[in-house]
Amino acid sequence: MKKTEIILILLVAVIIGVIVSLTYNASTYITFTDAEKQMGREFTVIGELNKDKEILFEPRLNVLTFYASDSLQNERKVYFYDSKPQDFERSEKITMTGFATDSGFTASTILMKCPSKYNEQQFIEQDTITLPKL
Amino acid sequence: MIDYIGEHTLVGTIGQAFISIAFVAALMSAFSFYKASKSDTLRKNWTPLARGSFYVHGLSVLGIIVCMFIMIYNHYFEYQYVWQHSSLSLPTHYMVSCFWEGQEGSFLLWIFWNLILGVILMRRAKNWEAPVLTVVASIQAFLSSMIIGGYLFGVKIGTSPFILVRNLEENIGLPWTKMANYLEIVPQFADGRGLNPLLQNYWMVIHPPVLFLGFSLTMIPFCYAIAALWKKNFSEWVQEALPWTYAAIMVLGTGILMGGAWAYESLSFGGFWAWDPVENSSLVPWIILVAAAHLMLVYRARKTALRSTFILTILSFILVIYSSYLTRSGILGDTSVHAFAGGLDYQLLIYLISFVIFSICILIFRFKSIPHVKKEEDSSSREFWMFIGSMVLFISAFQITWFTSLPVINKVLGTQMAPPIDAIDLYNSWQAPIAVIIIILIGITQYLSYGKSDMKKIFKQISSSLISSLALSFVIAFTVRMWDPVYLTLLWATIFAALSNFFYWRKILKGNWNLSGSSIAHIGFALVIMGALLSNANKNVISNNEGFIAKDFPSNENILLEKGDTTAMGTYFVLYKSDTLIGINKTYEVEYFNLKEDGQFEYQFTLNPFIQLNEIMGNVAEPSTKHFLLYDVYSHLTYADVDEHDENDPYHQESLINIKQGDSVIYSKHFLYLDSLLVNANTNLESEKALDVMLIAKLKMQNMIGEYSSTETIYAVKNNVAQSFPGYLEDGPLKYKFIFSEVNPEAGSIQIKAYEHIDNEKPFIVMKAIIFPYINLLWIGVILMAIGTFIAMLHLFKQTKK
Repeated sequence: MKKTEIILILLVAVIIGVIVSLTYNASTYITFTDAEKQMGREFTVIGELNKDKEILFEPRLNVLTFYASDSLQNERKVYFYDSKPQDFERSEKITMTGFATDSGFTASTILMKCPSKYNEQQFIEQDTITLPKL
Repeated sequence: MIDYIGEHTLVGTIGQAFISIAFVAALMSAFSFYKASKSDTLRKNWTPLARGSFYVHGLSVLGIIVCMFIMIYNHYFEYQYVWQHSSLSLPTHYMVSCFWEGQEGSFLLWIFWNLILGVILMRRAKNWEAPVLTVVASIQAFLSSMIIGGYLFGVKIGTSPFILVRNLEENIGLPWTKMANYLEIVPQFADGRGLNPLLQNYWMVIHPPVLFLGFSLTMIPFCYAIAALWKKNFSEWVQEALPWTYAAIMVLGTGILMGGAWAYESLSFGGFWAWDPVENSSLVPWIILVAAAHLMLVYRARKTALRSTFILTILSFILVIYSSYLTRSGILGDTSVHAFAGGLDYQLLIYLISFVIFSICILIFRFKSIPHVKKEEDSSSREFWMFIGSMVLFISAFQITWFTSLPVINKVLGTQMAPPIDAIDLYNSWQAPIAVIIIILIGITQYLSYGKSDMKKIFKQISSSLISSLALSFVIAFTVRMWDPVYLTLLWATIFAALSNFFYWRKILKGNWNLSGSSIAHIGFALVIMGALLSNANKNVISNNEGFIAKDFPSNENILLEKGDTTAMGTYFVLYKSDTLIGINKTYEVEYFNLKEDGQFEYQFTLNPFIQLNEIMGNVAEPSTKHFLLYDVYSHLTYADVDEHDENDPYHQESLINIKQGDSVIYSKHFLYLDSLLVNANTNLESEKALDVMLIAKLKMQNMIGEYSSTETIYAVKNNVAQSFPGYLEDGPLKYKFIFSEVNPEAGSIQIKAYEHIDNEKPFIVMKAIIFPYINLLWIGVILMAIGTFIAMLHLFKQTKK
């Protein structure tokens, strides 16, 4: 066999390795209830912040607790052991990686989708405009 | 028609006209250059028109930029772009940054650099001018259309920087847009939203222009490659494109790492590289371009590997467009912390796909006619190993792209894959072994000759580098206690490559500065990897606490500092001394001490991490770093109470307490009792209605050792107006305030608002501090890489001139 062919075969093999590696290592988006079936194992859950319930940050303990509901509207208390991210209250979708426990979901990282962040669309909302009486 | 008061529409109209002219002139120029490239006679006829329209395009682009600066400088907040990205309080030097904060401005920056390069190519490219400029002008037309902001058959084309707020789609039809004096009466127009405070940093003034110049430079090798395929002139283009390729490598590489420097200096990520999709997508074209440049060298020396050279050169530019699609379309939303907002995704996607299809087609049509050498390279030859190196670089780029494209893969396949839990680890576990191979190749390949090499002689030449690098890496591994086998191999490889390249330049090239480019750049690259490895693999979070049971909670990496107290942190003792408000930055003074043997504290240095208070964007914690020769002490705040207290009322932290008579609740480490509730009513006897009522709540508080203290708070209604009188209570040094705020007759309870005195609790901050060892190697490496590539580029330009 020629050297070029060997190199090509190796190249293709490694590329297939990369492709397989991603599907193998990719985590899955699941719901709180699914995460609770395997407590302690890490998963990624996309949830929505419940703004009506208490969002509590305890700076001395450095714990943020809040309530979020997943795509099937299961609501859980979430414990996030880190400082409160900027504009947390304004976030809509929250991507949380972490594991389920008896008392709630313990998140190790959270990523928020904020309507304010770099957003070009949300301009001046009509209800925020207070027009003086003419 | 409404005659709006206070609007400055003239500058916008002119700007919009310039955009249209720029677009049309670019199309015109592309067409004329295309005509000019057909034959020599046509060239004479069409070139003046082609050049002329390119200059018109250029002048219009400059016109757009001038109009935008006029808008920003004069604070015309009726324009969406100005309102969104600028504010009255923005210092003049940052107005430059708000120029490219938005999508439209950053496209304009890209167009601007392409324009400069296009003009240089028109003057330099000679025979290549017509075909190369055809591609350049077409790209300019594509990019200009991204900022047109018009409608074509009902489809929105681009977004213009000159659109008025009242003309935004979401505002059309709103009542205020129909008021002639809306600028005066709508308070939002008094000031802009301001530049994102994170971008108010000197790195952000220079990083984007450098990065975009890098992106623009990748266009030149692409244009030459396309022109060569198109005109079937397969051989000469490499020599023409080579110096430009090196220029692109230098500028893009510097731009990327400037972004890293910015992240390290002013973001609280805790590092300079996080494998974030936005970072990755700018790194990948660079890697591919480096591979392409090395293949160009192979082709120049041995006339082989031309097909791969074409593929990689074209690929690097397509990856630039892909990168702008990823970061600007909003598709990364779920996986990246700093993706831009969407809006242009379809247009960008169409461009991306058309560039890909066009490139693939032209490659397929010409592939057979590209000269191809059947003979195999000798496995001791330089070209063989350079080719291997390029393939390994390709794999590296493929892995990064594939993993970064997860959201795209999800969209195409309809899957729901989430990013890997520990993405950084996964990237490192792929890229570290790849880096080992690349760096060993960097160390050896220079010694090999084109054609065939004498391996015995080479082994002799590199043996001293081999032995000394082995010894050195063990010494370093001992000092930093790093024993991971992959990391250790990588460390050895970087030292070996740095040494062997240095000796190659000293001994083989006899210290010739003209030829020193590759050696210096390779040493620089080895140092970048060495610095990244040593500083990241051995980074030491010194602000650890052991307050949590689970080991890997992020909370474990923080330390709580009470004002005035000195606390041990790592080998230091730290003191949170004071905080002051400087402008919009609440700055905290944290002093670092060493404990001497006699038990005295010895002052070392002060760090000033701060919180930028920005009402519109939200507060942002920015780090403060002390740079030493061998390590950095990096720190940022993870919590600080930045609320300003009212000087007249020292009570804060309101709690609402609902309580019944005789009940007790736990409040602030005390039992709180409602001892009694007295009612004083002045009743009208005829109607049996209470006229004036006074309720007196007697509160009693019991502390942990059982001591009582009490107070009363009054709720009075007179002439249907309710009023409360607060009660104050002291327990030793602790002071509280209570206000009787509501009566709930149904529940039979009352509501008390309780406040703590600000002196009850010492102010505190929560801080994270990390030591990054040997991080200066990284920055030295970046500088060497830039210098080395620059020397190589100069050398190549000189050769092209001859």
